[in-house]
Amino acid sequence: MDRRQTGHEAPSSDVSGQEQALSDAAFSGPPDEEQLRLLLAELDELTDRVQALAPDYEPPAFSPERLVTLIERLLSWYPKDVQLGILEKLQGALRRDLFNLDLWKGIWYMLSYTLRHNADLVRRHARGEIDTDPWGLDWELVDLVLPFFNFLYKTYFRVEITGIDNIPIEGRALLVANHSGQLPWDGMMVGTAILNEHPAGRLARGLYAAILPGIPYVSTLLVRLGQTLATVENGTRLLEQDELVMVFPEGYKGTAKPFKDRYRLARFGRGGFAQMALNTQSPIIPVSVVGSEETYISLAKLPTFSEIIGIPYLPITLRFPWLGLLGIVPLPTKWYIDFGEPMQVNNCGADSADNIVKVSQVTDQVRNTVQEMIHSRLAQRRSIFFG
Amino acid sequence: MSEREVILVTGVAGYWGSRVAARLAAEGSCHVIGLDAEQPAGERNGLDFVLADVRNPLLVELLKAENVDTVCHLAFQHSTRRSEAAFDANVIGTTKLLGACAEAGVWKVVLKSSTAIYGARPTNSAFLTEDHSLRGSRRYGYTRDLVEIETFCNGFSRRVPKMVLTSLRFASIVGPGADTPMTRFLRTPWAPGLMGFDPMMQVIHENDVVAALLHAVKEDVPGAFNIAATDALPLSRIRGLVGKLPFSVLHMCANWSVSLLGTALLGVKRYLPIDPEYLRYPWVGDLARMEQSLGFTPRYTAAETLREFAAHLRLGRYRTGPASLAQDAGHMREVIERRGRTQDHHTSPDTAVPGDGNG
Repeated sequence: MDRRQTGHEAPSSDVSGQEQALSDAAFSGPPDEEQLRLLLAELDELTDRVQALAPDYEPPAFSPERLVTLIERLLSWYPKDVQLGILEKLQGALRRDLFNLDLWKGIWYMLSYTLRHNADLVRRHARGEIDTDPWGLDWELVDLVLPFFNFLYKTYFRVEITGIDNIPIEGRALLVANHSGQLPWDGMMVGTAILNEHPAGRLARGLYAAILPGIPYVSTLLVRLGQTLATVENGTRLLEQDELVMVFPEGYKGTAKPFKDRYRLARFGRGGFAQMALNTQSPIIPVSVVGSEETYISLAKLPTFSEIIGIPYLPITLRFPWLGLLGIVPLPTKWYIDFGEPMQVNNCGADSADNIVKVSQVTDQVRNTVQEMIHSRLAQRRSIFFG
Repeated sequence: MSEREVILVTGVAGYWGSRVAARLAAEGSCHVIGLDAEQPAGERNGLDFVLADVRNPLLVELLKAENVDTVCHLAFQHSTRRSEAAFDANVIGTTKLLGACAEAGVWKVVLKSSTAIYGARPTNSAFLTEDHSLRGSRRYGYTRDLVEIETFCNGFSRRVPKMVLTSLRFASIVGPGADTPMTRFLRTPWAPGLMGFDPMMQVIHENDVVAALLHAVKEDVPGAFNIAATDALPLSRIRGLVGKLPFSVLHMCANWSVSLLGTALLGVKRYLPIDPEYLRYPWVGDLARMEQSLGFTPRYTAAETLREFAAHLRLGRYRTGPASLAQDAGHMREVIERRGRTQDHHTSPDTAVPGDGNG
């Protein structure tokens, strides 16, 4: 649009008259066959000029021209009638566009752009040229891993959500969810749900367990995705910065639950999340995740062994040690994530965060709400895998 | 002489002491006494120099005789190894100095410390306030000494509440002139990170360190303060800004190399000037108190600091050493001027105020 206007109003002096007439003709109204021909002729002329400038230039290893020559050569191996048959089949099955050079040019441009973009990304990350916020969040990495989470969210677990509007468009809020399923897929799915479905596309700042900072790559990845260690100071500070904070107060006790205890909430930690909310007067949004308990069917735990290798728990599931890595793949259950009504805690005094009674009251209240939400969802669910 | 504020700067033979003392002396509003156990290498710039050790039992007499109001304690031996001599000079020296100050009625003491005293732990919050417990590494001499000093200061300020005891806890100091664990680390050819770990880190420019020390000497701000450039950066970004290749080692290997096992079996000396734990876990200080209570704002951002340091490192490859002084007329003029001033100082000892002759 802008280019068209400048072409009319301020024609630069070094544009030749022919080109000027051409661009005028080209841009005044919808292009017809004649103009298209003119434009293509101009393009050819430009190509010739460029080739004259650099006579040593060879087209890249993969270019539309080479592809067409390759197809022609391959076709020439067949007898005439077979060639015709192949061409007809291709035309019939894949439409005429396949033989349009522009289509292949377009595909090639897309491919080369993607390739260059990714090569640039890798190069910049290797050089450490990354932009992070003070917490270490790198939005570029979020965009990079989002397709994987989207696949899990849309195709694998087919997550259905309700009550997303309970999360404020801006300002602080504390999401409190149940934790289950041996590996924290539920945290990823709640985060993806808010990033995808919330009108403001907010990023939930999850608070993770104290074992994770010591694990190479995992710790760095979590920090780059905007997560941080679960301490009251971290949560309070994030809420003070009007962020959306996500906690799973059950912790290991939630994820390590055996299958027989599914959907029975474990103890809600020591009430650290209630302290954060009371410190900062943030609304608490209870979240129930249904479906993640059945991703692994944990039969027992190996306490001694997990102690030796220094991890909090090691489950024996229906599939885990027996099928090796295949046992780590979660079962494709149907998931429901419900965001409840915000619970206000701002009617308490300023020093209520230190009030043990108040903290435990808030903790129990939230725990009961989440448990009720889980029960009402379970009552509606007919099938674990199909919802 | 009595109405002028008297400031005693320890460790003036060292880099920080000399810079702070020179700046204070140049301002001319106070009488600056420089103290060190060895002679300063460079020009003394009209400084009132005293050759003494802070551990000397008669230090209290010196403080009383000179009517010292403020002490800026910058004598510190940066030893990577746990050395008994360094511990004696650093920790015992500081405790003795603080004791002497309390007895001599010194009004204010400013200490230079480091945020490394919080320790790099997996359980650390993303931002550590000044009240965080001191769990610094005990494997490296300087962090152990600093933790000891700060622990002593906590108790000392409770016992002597009327003294203004300011402790400035600096993040990793970076700059062309400074010799700190971080600059030593970044000067190594590889400066390896640890595989899979990329903690957030803070740096501070050497000029900002001097500015913060001067600020604390002038203002009365008791307490401990984290001082760092306002932008925290991931270690990979720090290494990238200084132009290091993406090279990292297994954290186990890095830990062995500093442990007894590494020294005994592999024969490696400590090749990392920083404890590997500090390259593994975050130890970022919270800067709210620096901005609000201390009222200090660093002039350099971390990125600027590191870019400048990188430029200095690159240029270092092309420098021809002392030959550059052959062309440096500005430096020579400065030297002549300075020597002229000291001549004035020697001829009239009563007006022992450097810079007065000119101003």
